[in-house]
Amino acid sequence: MGQTKLDDYLRVIELCRDVETSSANPFDVDIREKILLLKQRLPELKLLDELLVDSEAMLELAQIVKLQDQWLKQRASALYIDPLLIQLKLKLLPKDALSEAFVKSWHPIAQIDQLSPRGLEKAFVYWRELTPMSERFKDQFGTYGVGPGVVEYTDLVSLGVFTKEEFEIGLTRLHDELLQQSNGEWVDYRQFIGNDSYESKVRRAYLLAFLLSEGRALLKTEPLTGKIWTMGLVEKVKGTPKSVAIPITGDS
Amino acid sequence: MESESGDRALLERKVRRAFQVLVLQRGRNPGVKGWEMKRHLGREYRKIIEVLSEDVAPMGLEVFEVKGADGSDDSSRFLLRFRDSPTVNEAETSGIRIDDLAVLAATIAFINSKSGRVARREVEQFLREKFPKWRVDYSLDRYVKRGYLDQDDRGMLHIGWRTRAEVDEKTLMTMILSRAQEAAKK
Repeated sequence: MGQTKLDDYLRVIELCRDVETSSANPFDVDIREKILLLKQRLPELKLLDELLVDSEAMLELAQIVKLQDQWLKQRASALYIDPLLIQLKLKLLPKDALSEAFVKSWHPIAQIDQLSPRGLEKAFVYWRELTPMSERFKDQFGTYGVGPGVVEYTDLVSLGVFTKEEFEIGLTRLHDELLQQSNGEWVDYRQFIGNDSYESKVRRAYLLAFLLSEGRALLKTEPLTGKIWTMGLVEKVKGTPKSVAIPITGDS
Repeated sequence: MESESGDRALLERKVRRAFQVLVLQRGRNPGVKGWEMKRHLGREYRKIIEVLSEDVAPMGLEVFEVKGADGSDDSSRFLLRFRDSPTVNEAETSGIRIDDLAVLAATIAFINSKSGRVARREVEQFLREKFPKWRVDYSLDRYVKRGYLDQDDRGMLHIGWRTRAEVDEKTLMTMILSRAQEAAKK
């Protein structure tokens, strides 16, 4: 009985949420009809939980009214153009014409990003009061920590992260992918190692490091912009590889 | 006579102060809120901003106001921006990729055509017809981070404050429509 009573409420909530999370027309929701329905059902509600569902439904309807207001304002502005028309126009335009349209309507912000004496002072105070690394996590983890080190390929095999076959296949597959993506040109290193998950990123970076050491790929860094580029090579290059440290973090 | 020159000196000092406040980035986002301007320059800060905007015009700059969500003076954000648009070459030499700009232009136009809000997945789907998946994801994330686009917790994309500050949206929409006609004729 309780569930049937709440069915109308749940349907209203679901409908509102569907409209809120899509670009559907918020006027598709008949606010008046829904409020009358809620009003009609309200006397049947006795429990606190049921009344909470009622207020949730009202809140969702209020959100739809807000969306209707925004929708009207946008339609009334000169910026509104029929979505189908604009989609068609956008499909017709080549990339350079699109970017040119953007640049011609662009007024970049002028600003200076620099250290001020106050900023320097704050940085100095922070540095002075920063606990040394060795002391920082002593309370939580004690002093028996292992510092960062190098993980060899054999270590990974013994840990079960890779089998030898998997490693070879993975290396070949990544090399093919790099060759295909770069096609004789530099590609962004961070984009290439991807952004799917931290584990996948580390795995790809590790395999790419092997390709680089073997001379089957090249790497260049731009210290000013912080950009790192890589390129796949069909034939191995000879020479002594230089060592480069690239941090791989979970967020970039 | 003396008080007149005193007033002028005070005004010049305040205009200089306004310029410094606007040009130096404090905090994460560029620009200065109305209430901060009031604190730095006093209640008559709008007049000082008007004078500054005229003073920086010969350098190709202007002070631009972006209205806040509630439309109040305090919530407005003031920014120093280019009076005229740069050329495509200038934009390219500043390290911005043409592809990235094209993604942003298409996204802004798409959002505006959908009454100012559209699900991110819908934008992605639309953009993937023209751009590779990785560029779409990368560019959208970057533009959300930089404030050109705004993404809410329901995954809906809106026009960000930075687009309102830097982009003349009417010009952009007109350019897209007219350029598409030219492209169709060709």
